[in-house]
Amino acid sequence: MSPEMLCGAWVAAGLSLCIYSFLYRDNPFFKLGEHIFVGASVGYLLVITYHEVMLKKLAVPLIEQHEWRLAIPLVLGLLMLARFVPRLAWTSRLAFAFILGVSSGVAIPRLLSSFVLQQVQGTLKPLVSVGPTGASFGLAELNTILILIGVVSVLVYFFFSIEHTGSVRRVARLGMYFLMISFGAAFGYTVMARMSLLIGRFDELILYATPEYSYATVWLLGFVTGGLVWWQRRVRQAQAQAPPDGTE
Amino acid sequence: MRKFAARLLQLDRRFIFVLMSVVTVLPLLYPLGLPVRISPETQQLYDTLERLPERSVVLLSLDYDPASKPELYPMTVSLLRHAFARNLRVVALTLWPAGTSMAESAITHGAEEAGKKDGTDYVFLGYGPGEANAIISLGQGLTNAFPTDYAGRKTETLPVLAGVRSLRDIDYAISLSAGFPGLDTWYVYGKEKYGFELGGGCTAVSAPKFYPLLQTGQINGLLGGLRGAAEYETLLNQSGKATAGMDAQSATHFLIIGLIMVCNVCYLLGGRKG
Repeated sequence: MSPEMLCGAWVAAGLSLCIYSFLYRDNPFFKLGEHIFVGASVGYLLVITYHEVMLKKLAVPLIEQHEWRLAIPLVLGLLMLARFVPRLAWTSRLAFAFILGVSSGVAIPRLLSSFVLQQVQGTLKPLVSVGPTGASFGLAELNTILILIGVVSVLVYFFFSIEHTGSVRRVARLGMYFLMISFGAAFGYTVMARMSLLIGRFDELILYATPEYSYATVWLLGFVTGGLVWWQRRVRQAQAQAPPDGTE
Repeated sequence: MRKFAARLLQLDRRFIFVLMSVVTVLPLLYPLGLPVRISPETQQLYDTLERLPERSVVLLSLDYDPASKPELYPMTVSLLRHAFARNLRVVALTLWPAGTSMAESAITHGAEEAGKKDGTDYVFLGYGPGEANAIISLGQGLTNAFPTDYAGRKTETLPVLAGVRSLRDIDYAISLSAGFPGLDTWYVYGKEKYGFELGGGCTAVSAPKFYPLLQTGQINGLLGGLRGAAEYETLLNQSGKATAGMDAQSATHFLIIGLIMVCNVCYLLGGRKG
């Protein structure tokens, strides 16, 4: 085991335990872990962006390979920073206008096609399969009917221009049940995702509790628990010494 | 009974945290070996890779960061094992800056394990900035979008990219996505325009969003969360991190279902007043 790996394991185990200590209550260990996480994330993103974008995609091609067309995005980027200079702030609108215009032009037709037209097409499938042997009705067709009923009833539920009474109310209510089922499925998947993250962390913490990693998890768990007990005692002492009405 | 129900509803939530920890750790230490059933969407993705002829080009976009590692890293490992075992060329990249080093490490380890050569059998292009623009740029020309790979070699001279000029020359693209940009971005700006086959993997929390795309055939395979990763490991006859985690997953789900039922019973018994 290399010293870097060992050091990384101790840092990972320690920070994980600091973050999990929030489950007891907000405390200095959690704050330490949180601040290190935020700082390290921002620092890492800055370095990657500088190296992979500013250097590799802009500076090197522009300066060494004389790709002068890259000066256009460079100028547009600089114009955005003009917001910090009040007299030149208006020039940043040029860059924003360019970005908004291009993004809308690219995104709107593609999103309409992908998420509206193709989805509508997927909803309007034949309700009965007709083959050489005649018409047939199977699970796929039942699924198509369910999708059709679900789409129509949910659309009715969100149609507020007519009063939801009589048959409209019944269809809207059916739409509400479809929505509730979809929310339940989404919540189930969310629970599954969060549990997966917990399992992933615990899996690594168990690994770091082995002799190969010098029992990192065990030592650090003891340290964080001991620290929490000491901190909690200090908080209680401070509360006991404070005047009851909170004034000096 | 009513008093007991009311007291149970006011139980300190930290007891539940401890219970959850115990239920998670025990199956990890003592695996139960519960069976993993293969879902059609996982099978479809596996079959697509199986059908590809040798030396076909698979684009693997690792669109996640370390926060989603427990779910998506096992998928990456399995897909790389499968692609390398089938002797496919792998072109990997990421649209997430924070995932760059992790993606590079996953590709390198997978290739070393399979005895594959960098630049000949696989390439890691690195981070593609600009989200959707990165995909559009790749569609217009791969060497323009990535003049050099992550290691700084010129992409136009790499044997692994022989005959690959743009996304139109990709045989199959897979996006392992933890959010935006991810699988849907690849569909909207990539597949629709450049016409390659697309499949993907995602975190469980975003899986419901992709099922409509699967239903309409807009994507042809999906690995949903840790379960999807475990299914793929089962298809490869390999027991990995995802399969090991599925016992704990099932145990925690049982606990949550049990807690929901207990809470509802207590609520109905009159605890609602407390």
